Amino acid sequence: MIDWNAMGDEEFRQEVRTFFEQNYPSELRYPPHRLRWAEIKGWYMTLAAKGWLAPTWPTLYGGMGLNPTKFLIFIEEQERWGVARTPDMGMTMVGPLLIKHGTEEQKSYYLPKILRGEHLWCQGYSEPNAGSDLASLKTSAIIDRDEFVINGQKTWTTLAQDATHIFMLVRTDPQAKKKQEGISFLLVDCKSPGITVRPIPNIAGNEEFCEVFFDNVRAPRANIVGELNKGWTIAKAMLGFERITLGSPKQSQYALGRLEILARQRGCFDDPVFLDKFTALQLDVADLVSVYARFVDIVKRGETLGPDVSLLKIWATETYSRISSLMVETAGAAGAIVGKVDFGGEPVDVLSSFYYARPAPIYGGTNEIQRNIIAKEVLGLPS
Amino acid sequence: MNANAMAAAAADRADERRLLKESVAAFVERCGGATRARAMRGRSPGFDRAVWREFADLGWLAVTLPEQYGGLGLSLTEMAVIAEELGGALAPEPVIEAITLAAGVLRHAGGSVADELLPPIAAGEIIPTLAWQESDGNFDPAHVAATATADTTGGIRLNGSKAFVPHADAADGFIVTARDEQGLALYWIPADAPGVEIVLRPLATGAMVGCVSMKQVEVAPTQRIAAGRHAADALHLAIDEATVMASAALVGLIGKALNMTLDYIKVRTQFGKPIGSFQAIQHRAVDLYIQCELAQGALGDALAAHTEAPRSKAAQAATSRAKARCSDVALLICREAVQMHGAIGFTDEYDLGLYLNRALVLAAWLGNSAQHRRRYAAIGNASTQEASA
Ligand SMILES: Cc1cc2nc3c(=O)[nH]c(=O)nc-3n(C[C@H](O)[C@H](O)[C@H](O)COP(=O)(O)OP(=O)(O)OC[C@H]3O[C@@H](n4cnc5c(N)ncnc54)[C@H](O)[C@@H]3O)c2cc1C
Repeated sequence: MIDWNAMGDEEFRQEVRTFFEQNYPSELRYPPHRLRWAEIKGWYMTLAAKGWLAPTWPTLYGGMGLNPTKFLIFIEEQERWGVARTPDMGMTMVGPLLIKHGTEEQKSYYLPKILRGEHLWCQGYSEPNAGSDLASLKTSAIIDRDEFVINGQKTWTTLAQDATHIFMLVRTDPQAKKKQEGISFLLVDCKSPGITVRPIPNIAGNEEFCEVFFDNVRAPRANIVGELNKGWTIAKAMLGFERITLGSPKQSQYALGRLEILARQRGCFDDPVFLDKFTALQLDVADLVSVYARFVDIVKRGETLGPDVSLLKIWATETYSRISSLMVETAGAAGAIVGKVDFGGEPVDVLSSFYYARPAPIYGGTNEIQRNIIAKEVLGLPS
Repeated sequence: MNANAMAAAAADRADERRLLKESVAAFVERCGGATRARAMRGRSPGFDRAVWREFADLGWLAVTLPEQYGGLGLSLTEMAVIAEELGGALAPEPVIEAITLAAGVLRHAGGSVADELLPPIAAGEIIPTLAWQESDGNFDPAHVAATATADTTGGIRLNGSKAFVPHADAADGFIVTARDEQGLALYWIPADAPGVEIVLRPLATGAMVGCVSMKQVEVAPTQRIAAGRHAADALHLAIDEATVMASAALVGLIGKALNMTLDYIKVRTQFGKPIGSFQAIQHRAVDLYIQCELAQGALGDALAAHTEAPRSKAAQAATSRAKARCSDVALLICREAVQMHGAIGFTDEYDLGLYLNRALVLAAWLGNSAQHRRRYAAIGNASTQEASA
């Protein structure tokens, strides 16, 4: 077994880079939308065979055991080469969760199946009436002897149509004094009778998120993670790393690169007004990179991220949004054409950046909610 | 006319416009509103020819057409009432594209081609489209690379390629701009003329734009609509008028998207309260409302300027001012609307996406906000120089 952490950073980077460059299917580089299982399965299996599916899991559980520094290098190289996200909820959420809070049975049953690509997980938190106010969720799970009986609805569940399993927050104590206190964390097999999944097409024309209905769905009691009614604390603890991935500058850097191609072809850099707009965004991205690095360092030192990490998500997603708008503007008459448009031999998909810049300030906690967090927890403003 | 009579006439006109507005709104609502816009996506043609003929029967295709062509001879302000309502209802019919823009070129140019085509256009029998821009996206109408050259048999050959041609899949013919010895010339070519090739691309709304390439397309001298200065004037004016109408359509859309969002934030509840009760949301809604009012003001000024002196620098500047404002506001409101709706705003099933897509198309069409601000500045500089000369 290789001890990756013992390797020098540059050596490790080179190793990862070479592997991606040699093995990642070139037609899937920088996909304009979230790839479906049928498209990305091959790559998932390549990673599985290499033993690289779970970079952060301890080697004991079949992961690479990367420390935070090495993991960030891994992510950077992925993004640098335009390697698409796989259906990675099992790797990013379920694995770490079970390793920390799962029973021995849960670990030995689920973890290997994630690593073999047998189980694909989706995240069932949001409901039609519980979005920003997630703790008001209503999907209920009632104990019936050795089973939970689940009724209700989850929504916006990304790639549920491809998932074999869903990890979810359910209400197990409707009488709890605080609404956060009656919530439990459950693992459910999507093949269970009573589950219906309906994909919801998005404005970019792709089916990525879904509604998931639960009608008397039965799950073994053993599928609870952590204690009964303590699911909220568990879910909260999983948020930290998500905020940092959502704050990555790579999306903005890539979009800025596309904008540059388009603008060069249109001769926009001769226009001082455009030059100013472009440079402003370039500096926004440069500053994003340095703020990002600051939070990355915290992770590298093994410390926990504070509430100020919210600023990263806000700045990253809003910078991306501004770049996508300038792209539409710069494309002029071509800015409303769907799909790739040829700009001097370089195909640029103007609209897909614009479309995908829309939900980024919504998912993972809306930017309004992130601002509320900063106002209260960082600036100490009164409520 | 004395002051009382003038006030009475103005009141009459306002009444008539209100009636027109109500009847257009009622008609498009009956036709299916957003539902119909949704159903038309990806179809070719991207609109309903039966509805088009009803528009003709209602006289909407002949509003600004002089009476000599069987038109109503009304002003652009009446047309704007229609454009605004159609825009708000997301009607896919290309009224601005085919009537204000393409037929507008004919109307301003006059002559025998116009005499022949305008009556059947007003009757909804022929749908024209204007092919003026080229693939570099330049939006100066004088920027034309396509050529018209005399051949040995007394005919004329058109060569070149036109991009971003609206409804190129559905139009019965194209009014194309080409360069000849006199400068700019305008020709009418039927859609099925030999040598014409059309490559279609879908727009965000699902409607098609075409790249129309012409290889040795043979036209008779009688197909020439106008040439030289006269052609350029007709073209410029029609484009300006269509730009004002696109702004009117944007104003219609802006109003609907804002109202939809206000309705939503009043009823969507999180944390035990309507999200519209959070001050962070309230202030942003207010900012959108302000922008909405500014857009209406800019449109009103553009219409007034066109009524007063259609070909003036003032009218051109007001046109650019309106298009810049309305395009920006529409995109801003739609982006903010998605954000305030949360995830549901990103779904295709919810109508907001239809507004966002229409905003993208109308904002990009005939020059986006940045292009119009630049044009406004250029006109402003030119008129200052004129004044000081
Ligand atoms: C592309 C995409 C993928 C997603 N994938 C998943 C997934 O896999 N699993 C999952 O569980 N969920 C997923 N979500 C759901 C996401 O977590 C929610 O959309 C998000 O939490 C917001 O909830 P909502 O959409 O109900 O909006 P709401 O909560 O209804 O918010 C509407 C608007 O009100 C604002 N608002 C709400 N409360 C306040 C306040 N107190 N102060 C100021 N403004 C406020 C919001 O910021 C927003 O602008 C996804 C969403 C998207 C868009």
